Formats: sequence, structure tokens, C-alpha cells
Amino acid sequence: MSTEKLLNGLRIIDLSMGWAGPLAARNLADMGAQVIKVESCTHFDWWRSWEATPEWIEDNGAEKALAYLSVNRNKLDITLDLENPTGRQLLLDLVAQADAVIENYSGAVLPKLKLDYPHLKAVNEQIVMVSMPAFGTTGPWANYRAYGSTVEHSSGLPHLTGSAHQPPTMQHVALGDAIGGLNGTAALLTALWHKQKTGQGQFVDLSQVECLIPLGAEGVLHQSVHNSPPPRTGNDHADFAPHGVYPCKGDDQWILIQVMSEAQWQALQNLCTELNQFSDITDRLERRSALNKTLAQWTANQQSSELMAQLQSLGITAATLNNGLSLLEDEQHKARGYMQWLDRAFVGKQPHPSLPFRNGSDPSPLNTPAPTLGQHNKEVLGGILGLNDAELEKLALEAVIGDKPKLET
Amino acid sequence: MQQQAPHSTETKGSSQTKPFDGLNIVDVSGTVATSYACKLFADYGATVTNVEPAQGFPTRQLKPFIPSTPGEEPVSAMHGYLHCNKASVVGNHNNLATEPAVTQADLIVYDPATLPNTDSLAGINTNTCAISWFGLTGPYAKYQGSDGVIHALTGLMKGIGEEAGPPIIPNGVQAQIVGGLSAFNGALGHLLGQLMGNLKQPFALDNSIFEANMCMTDLMAINAFNENPLPPRMGINRFPPTYPLGIWPCKDGWLGVTALTPSQWRAFCQLLSLDDFVGVDFFNASINRLASADVLEPAIIQALATHSTEALFHKGQAMRIPLARVPTMEELFTVDQYVSRQAFSNISMQDSTFLAPSIPFRLFDTPPHFGGRVAALGEDNGLDFAETKV
Repeated sequence: MSTEKLLNGLRIIDLSMGWAGPLAARNLADMGAQVIKVESCTHFDWWRSWEATPEWIEDNGAEKALAYLSVNRNKLDITLDLENPTGRQLLLDLVAQADAVIENYSGAVLPKLKLDYPHLKAVNEQIVMVSMPAFGTTGPWANYRAYGSTVEHSSGLPHLTGSAHQPPTMQHVALGDAIGGLNGTAALLTALWHKQKTGQGQFVDLSQVECLIPLGAEGVLHQSVHNSPPPRTGNDHADFAPHGVYPCKGDDQWILIQVMSEAQWQALQNLCTELNQFSDITDRLERRSALNKTLAQWTANQQSSELMAQLQSLGITAATLNNGLSLLEDEQHKARGYMQWLDRAFVGKQPHPSLPFRNGSDPSPLNTPAPTLGQHNKEVLGGILGLNDAELEKLALEAVIGDKPKLET
Repeated sequence: MQQQAPHSTETKGSSQTKPFDGLNIVDVSGTVATSYACKLFADYGATVTNVEPAQGFPTRQLKPFIPSTPGEEPVSAMHGYLHCNKASVVGNHNNLATEPAVTQADLIVYDPATLPNTDSLAGINTNTCAISWFGLTGPYAKYQGSDGVIHALTGLMKGIGEEAGPPIIPNGVQAQIVGGLSAFNGALGHLLGQLMGNLKQPFALDNSIFEANMCMTDLMAINAFNENPLPPRMGINRFPPTYPLGIWPCKDGWLGVTALTPSQWRAFCQLLSLDDFVGVDFFNASINRLASADVLEPAIIQALATHSTEALFHKGQAMRIPLARVPTMEELFTVDQYVSRQAFSNISMQDSTFLAPSIPFRLFDTPPHFGGRVAALGEDNGLDFAETKV
């Protein structure tokens, strides 16, 4: 049994949008759960676009958003107007036959639609529901809005990054979304494990901000035990030198070097004789600035990926700083088959990252690319709920379902 | 005096039932990643046993240390955070297969780099979960890893810092926490597959911390493939694809701002009375604002400096703008939202109690442990593991 069929038999209703929620559900889809994504023609996943225009719709822009495509593979997609009583009822009918629901609306949305946990539980006592708003479903900020960047703002992390002379410094890439997504997967799996063991569903609350706080655990713990924050030392390390990011040959090319033992230091000195003017760790920490300057002069004439290979072959902790393009060429990713390729209407063949765990030597195969809007209306509403073609046609005429985005009037 | 949560933190909610009651997990390595993966199991009730070498797990050597008197062995608060509610035994790492805890385990979590030889786990017929920097195969498998190395290779690091560089190394053990979380997902997914009858054989998972951290940056590679690469590093707190997106000073603290959609931008202008910008159609597009950041920024900074963070935050949120307070480490413990949700809980370790992050996801009917006690090295030597197995 490969990972791709592990969770066959589970059905997840995915009401989430953007990055965090869809990633959480995608991980279960990659493991074989049937994940049904629910959008509507007017409230489509905002990761298809947050600036939709008539031209964008005409150009099928909704089907070309790379971010949307990457976190919705292996899913089915239906459209339902949840503000329409018929659409709402169809969702409840689906929930009645599902194991779990996941959503990341801001706090007031589902209660207003009467689709919050009590209403879902009323049609399915055993349902697991994971809600993952930015700040959690309880507390004074429960209805506050956030993106991944807002999550990082709120987590304390910016006060740990960079140097004391810099403002609180973001890492960004909206990492709050990605980490929230991994925690969402953990939340779903934990509740589904309990349901499988006991038959009991339940409500699960996840705060995306709280998901990011463990990444700053070192700072939190320092504050707690010393009653003061850790010093912001930039790329310097309190105990090791050299330790930093150094320029390499080419435009914006860099290498990270972290010498964390005397054996590594001696190996580096053997390679870069200019460093012989520096001695033990006490000397290196005292003359850190001169040391960094000398090392930077040496690395500036080296090609970063070649230098990484050379330093690593000597047991020295080092890495080239990749960008998007070089990630595609990364030797480790290539050797492990990390990027898989799926052909998708409107965009052609696209790279997809594998699950970061594998049972054995090969990555779990990915099966289907992200669905188009409403692609599986017939399969899901007909196949699971038993609606016939005439009923589906009526739903389309009444704009309860559809397969093209519409701008709200 | 260490800081403590103001209320009881052992459990929240009425039920003492935990989802992983009866599940036996063993950690034989004690890296941050293996420890965090096992911590998530322990927080939800699994019996987690650390089989430590005589000198203790590597996490016992990690900063920050609890202040101690001279001559005393330093005690790692990081170890405490990662290992509360677990048992500790000292085992023979040359032959782990005969360790009682290991023979009774449903899952063994390890990092091969910490084992004295590759045969340490040979002959074990149960589920295993390896967590290593780069995975068990490939040309980097034997490379020296670190959190920084992972951030460099995933591409995260290159976008942080001044435009001229050098890029900034993210703080702490973030990559390992993400690796442990991802490995938890892999292990639990496979255990659930077994429970459902979909997987009949023991599994041998290979978790790569590098691949786990790609979740943050894989879009960079996808965009680059589509000849739409992200622009180079743009400076501290300046990022594609929008503006304003960053952290700026107010009268009394720091405000995090993200304005992505046209309506958020217009509302942000109204909030700060930036009347000159609000009616300019060109600025409705996020990418145009980013291109005009040097024009917009002085006015934004000037306007923010006249307001209090707290007032702007709440007022902005009421206007549906995703603004944020940017709390310092000290302020984190007193943010009303986090206090009300018990985002931090007490860890008891030897004679000390300190605050650590609580588990971020909360099952309402079967709540997790909030905080707990940390076992001393070898405290559970002699425990009958056959009795703990259900």
C-alpha cells in the first residue's frame, strides 16, 4: 500500500481558501482522502485572484493562478452558492456523508450562513470540523482578519530576526500560511484518529498565529527564564565564528558558512590560508569583524554551489542561497524526485512538490492536478447526492452552481 | 523569577480522554525535530518514552538555560519545552532493538545521524520514522545540516534583509520545528492508514527537513518555472507582490500592515487620512503600489507616527484591514488574545517553572495537555513497558 491510498475511505469537505486551509486539506488528499473543495462562482477561492476583472474572467485567469494550482491538486471541486437556501442545503447533504470539514473563514462568516459547527453537527453527529482563522475561534480577536504576513507580525518572530539596529524584521513569504497549513493537517489527522478509534467527531480550533509561535520558541523561552528578550545579533552567533552569509561570484550570489567546531575551523583554514592569521575561538570571536571580512574576500571569487560542495565534502556546514530558479536545479531535489509533473488544462505541465515524507525510497506519486472551477459538480452532486441531469441543469439556471467566475454586482 | 501563566495549565476542558491514549512512541535520538514530532503525540496523550544515551539527549545542551548557581549543571529550558509529559530512560544505543521501550513501541522516531551505528535499529519489526536534514538518500544525505542551511537551500533566506545584503539568517530552530511537525503528519497519516486497514505492513518513513521546509518556498520554484520569478530581495520589510506590507513604528509600538486588495488599500488610506492617494486608480493595483513604494512610504510613515498602535490596530481591523500589533517577546505573554486562549503554558522542570508555547491546535472534546512536567534523565529506568502497552 503506497502513501497515495493510505486514507482511502475518508471524505473531507474543504471550505477553505488561500494557502493555509487548502494546504492542510491537500496533504490529506495526497494521502488518498477524497477532498471536495467547495467554492462558488461569486465567492471563488481568492487565491485565484484578489483583483478579478471582466478581462481576467474572459482570459480564464481563474484557471491559471499558480498558487491556487499548487495547493489544490488531488481534490475535487464543486461550486455552491451558500447564500442560496438550496446551495446551503446541498452542502449540508454532503456534510452528512463526510468525515470532516475544514474552513478558514474569518469568524463571523459561517455562523451568519448557519453553517457553523452546531449546524453541521445537527446533520452529522460524528463530523470533525477544523476551523483555522488567524487568531483562533475564541478570544477578543476571534473575528479579526489576517494574511500570512499578519500572522508573522503577530507571532513575535520579527523581534527575533536581524540586528538590534534594524526594525522588527519579517521573513515573510507568508510563512504563517504554510505553517498554519501543516498544523491544520496535524489537527485533522489527530481528530480523525480519535474518530476512527471511538466514532466521536468534534470541533477543532486552530489559531494560525499560535502555529507560528513555536518557531520562535527559543526567544519565548529566553524571555521566560531570563525575563529579557534574546539579543538580536543578526548573522553573528554568540559562540561560533565564522558564522554568516558571504558573497560569492555573480550578482546576488551568497553562501552560508557556519563553523561550529574546531575540526571544521581547521578544515576551513586548510582550504583558505588567508584565515591563518586567526586562531582559536576566543580570538575569532574577538576579531569577528576582521574574520568575516577576510572570509568574504575569499568567497567573493568562488562559485557558490561549487563552494558548498567543496566545504561540505570537508565536513563544514555550508549552503548556497537558492532562489526559485536554482531550486529547480537543486541536486538533492532532483536525485530524490522531489518535484513531480502534472499536466493541467490552461497551464500545461507544471512542477509539484512531493509530500515531504516517503515510505521507502520513492516519493508518493501525485495523481491529478488542481480541478477547474466546478469541474466535479456532476460527479459529486450527481454521484454522491444522487441529483439527476435535470436537477443539475436547474441548479445551473438558478446560479446555484456553475463553472465560470462572476464578479459580484 | 521565571515568568508563569496566571492560572492552572495542566489541562483545559473537562475530559481527561486524549486521542493518543494507549499509543506508545519512542524517541531514540532527541534532536529538536524528533523531539517536536514526539511532543505533538505526547501533548495528545501518547506514552512517549525518550531512550537517552548516558549523557542525555542533545536537546539537554540547547540554550536557553534556566539560570543556575555556579557549579550546577545547566538545565535547558528548550529541552523542557520539547519533552514535558514524556518518560526518560537511559538505554544502550549500540543495540536499541533489545531495549524494553523499543520492543513495545508502536512507532520509533530517530535521526540516523545520532545513532552510533547504522545497525542500532536492525531487526526491529515495527513502524519507524527517520527525521534527518536531507532525507536518507541523495547526494546531500551526509551533508552537515543546520537550520540556517535549510533556510539557505529552500530560498527563504535570500529574500530577507537589506537590498544590498547580506541576507539574514532566520533565528532559532525554526527549520527543525517544521521538520518535526511535518514528520508528525507523515507518521500519524500512516498510523491512521493502518488503523483503517488500508496499510497492513509496518512502515519505514523517511522525512527530510529540507523537503518539509519547502512548503514555504515551493511557489518560488513554480513561479520561476513559469518565467515569473519573484523579484530579488527588496529590503527590510518590503516584499512582493504588494505594498504596503511591512512593519512600521507608531507613537508607542510597532504596527504590522498588509494591504492587498483595492478595498483594503482604500480603507488604509482613509484610516490614515492619506487623501492624496485614496482616489488614484493606479494605486488600486498592488503591483503598482509596490513599484511606487518610495513615493508612498514617507507619507505612510509620517501618518503612522502620530497614532497609537493599539488604536490603529483595532480601528483598522474594524475597517476590515488586516493590521497587527507586533508584540515584543515580553508583550507576547500579556496580549489579551493570547492570554484568553492560553497560548503559553507552564513547564515544570526540576525546581523551576517557566512559560512555553502551548500546542496550537485544540480538540475541544479531547483537549491536549497544557504544559506539564519534565522527567529527569533516566527517571523512568525500570518502568515496565509491557504494562503501558494497550
